[in-house]
Amino acid sequence: MKTNRGIRALLAALALTSAVALPSLPAFAAGKMVVSSPQDPGSWDPIDTFLVNWASVATNIFEGLTYRGPDLKLVPGLATSWEISDDGMNIRFKLREGVTFHNGEPFNADAVKFTFDRLLGEEGAKGPQQSNYNTIDSVEVIDPTTVNFKMKEPDPVMLTKLAGYGAMIVPPKYIQEHGDEHFNTHPVGTGPFKFVSYEPKQNIKLEANADYWEGAPKLSELEYRFISEPSTAIAELQAGRVDLVIPPTIPIGMIPTIEADSNLAVVTTPGPTVYALRFNTRDGITKDPRVRKAMIMAVDRDAIIKTVLGGQAQPIASFQGPLSFGYDPAMKPLPYDPQQAQALLQEAGVAPGSTVQIDVRGNEATFIEVTQAIAAYLQTVGINATIKPYETNVLLNDIIPAGKTGAMFQQSWGGWTLDYDNTAIAMYHTGEKWNPYDSDPKMDEMLMAQRSMTDRTEREKALQAIAHYAAERALEMPLYNLNAIFGINKRVKNFTPVPDSRLKLTEVTVE
Amino acid sequence: MLAFLVKRLLQAIFVVIAVTLIVSFAIRLTGDPALMLTQGAGSVTEADLARIREALGLNEPFLVQYWNFLKGILTLDFGRSFMGGTPVSQLLATALPATLSLAFASLIVSIVISIPLGVKAATARGKWADQAIRILSLVGLSFPNFWLATMLVLLFAIALQWLPPSGMGGFLSYILPAATMGIILTATNVRLVRTTMLETLQSQYIMVARAKGLSENVVLYKHALRNCAIPLITYFGLQFGGLLGGIVVVERVFNWPGMGTLAFDAVGARDYPVLQAVITVLSLLIIGINLLVDIAYGLVDPRVRTE
Repeated sequence: MKTNRGIRALLAALALTSAVALPSLPAFAAGKMVVSSPQDPGSWDPIDTFLVNWASVATNIFEGLTYRGPDLKLVPGLATSWEISDDGMNIRFKLREGVTFHNGEPFNADAVKFTFDRLLGEEGAKGPQQSNYNTIDSVEVIDPTTVNFKMKEPDPVMLTKLAGYGAMIVPPKYIQEHGDEHFNTHPVGTGPFKFVSYEPKQNIKLEANADYWEGAPKLSELEYRFISEPSTAIAELQAGRVDLVIPPTIPIGMIPTIEADSNLAVVTTPGPTVYALRFNTRDGITKDPRVRKAMIMAVDRDAIIKTVLGGQAQPIASFQGPLSFGYDPAMKPLPYDPQQAQALLQEAGVAPGSTVQIDVRGNEATFIEVTQAIAAYLQTVGINATIKPYETNVLLNDIIPAGKTGAMFQQSWGGWTLDYDNTAIAMYHTGEKWNPYDSDPKMDEMLMAQRSMTDRTEREKALQAIAHYAAERALEMPLYNLNAIFGINKRVKNFTPVPDSRLKLTEVTVE
Repeated sequence: MLAFLVKRLLQAIFVVIAVTLIVSFAIRLTGDPALMLTQGAGSVTEADLARIREALGLNEPFLVQYWNFLKGILTLDFGRSFMGGTPVSQLLATALPATLSLAFASLIVSIVISIPLGVKAATARGKWADQAIRILSLVGLSFPNFWLATMLVLLFAIALQWLPPSGMGGFLSYILPAATMGIILTATNVRLVRTTMLETLQSQYIMVARAKGLSENVVLYKHALRNCAIPLITYFGLQFGGLLGGIVVVERVFNWPGMGTLAFDAVGARDYPVLQAVITVLSLLIIGINLLVDIAYGLVDPRVRTE
């Protein structure tokens, strides 16, 4: 029995490690919070990235002239007030006084000018953010607390855009002294949390900015860990080593796992992302608007939301959710009516057994289930649908823009500005990347007309009219607006879920 | 001997060039990184895309890009990541040690388990202990690594809360991923140890050792195991190379910041410089290991040299 010694030694070693492991259970200092985010943007410089998960972190470090919180109302940020000229060509901002960057540099008109010169100049040209702010011609310093934005053309969404991403105000001296590369990995802003450390692909750590102009945040430390695999993020949540898992991480199928744990909760809010199956309006049977309408009426979306999506979505009538500017609450989607659908198909001369192909993103298991349900509904009115999954990037970058899709294709859309202008132009304007098939002069005219409207109510009406017109032409099968799903440990208090990933954790505490 | 060395070295260089050429070419078939970068943008014009492509150096002809990449390898400058502009060498500096240390830990786990089990199975040949170990190793071989990883996490990280479920940081964080990889390797290694041991145990010197009245442990571990060592070490060495490639899934499940995670993210983001560098470095490592093994054989065994 002497050969058993090796096994016994191994067991002893295992027992020893578990003995060592026990006392080192994760213990949090009061006021420390750990957030799991699915993606590391690689750079914290506001002009370098478009990833929503950049904003989940950076909203705590940087600020813009305007601010938009979880209620999506635009309020003063680093600017206390603003005035827009009647023609929309000048926006004059009064800046907040007594604000300093984390490195002690003062925030003033020069910092604003530096920020936008950088974004619109050579440095910004290398990154993806510049295209979003191209309507700005230049920024002029009027006095240390006043700046004027000269526009190339009126941009009704500009004030919203100034609340996020590329428009975050950066410290001029710091960047000039340390260089752009240093700034990428050592961000400095004016926000409620200061940067501490960053390990690429692992984590970024922040600490409270005691001098924050709106008062110090309640948490003393804030750490984000980058975990892309949903089951791993949830395991960390269950083990109590992560306090909050932010979207887009948790798939609907994993909600019950979290709900079953008495220490955890699922918090949801309608998100910015809307889903639709868009039609090829140029070729095949979907060229006929009657066929498109018939297909919309053949599908019971409410049932799909209830069964496949666990109720975590709301049906939509146009390609936008209720949070979007331009949403018309009075607008109703086409009803579920298979008889009417069949009649329309017959009228259009579509033979029973006709086939359509639906192109989807291959890695979105939930949406594929939704599409399977849709295919089953289409079958009941005599249309055979085949589902073709693509690698996501191929579908987005090669298939859709080139107009190589089947009769229908998946489109998920969630612009953070939550303004229908952005969505509608991208989807319906002639020649846009996302609109490979349709060209409608009337639509183009409507889309361009609303751009120069400075009156909000008038523009909202114009956007609603566009939504009605798109539905009348049945340009897509509108499906639903998906909730943003957060997994949270119940020891976290005062957390408000945000619809747009722009998480600002000033009020949150951890018990 | 010199001619042999030169020949092997030239072969290795040829393989490196072939691998890098294929990788650089193939990744460019996956699509345009400028489109990836601007995916979230509302409205993107062709001019915006051209501007970004130029900034990324993608407007150059393929051969020029490839040549720059090759030149970069020699100076250990792999360019910058398309996502955020971090120098790739900096990313590799954290990812490579993370992967190497995990692979090493997995190998240790596997050796520590498979040697005593293999020896036991060999000595108890045909008895129940042998059968049990063989069946267990067959079961171990059939585990998909992601499933085993999830089960270990459920038990040790969630139910018992003894070990962290993911991430790298300190000794404890190595246990679950190394155990996952190690257990799967063990399945094959136990069988290897058993077979090698069985052969050795039939040698005459074992009989002599036993006849001298040495204790069974001294016979097994001092005389027999030492003589098994050469084939085992060769095999474990080669396994180490294989581990580097097979670690991607385990790294992903345990959120391990290694080469696999780096490559996985780079594929999704069309981050050419990162993916090129990861694959080049991994293949250089594997080529290097094989080259060393070849040279070592050549030194030991003259027949290999004159082949």
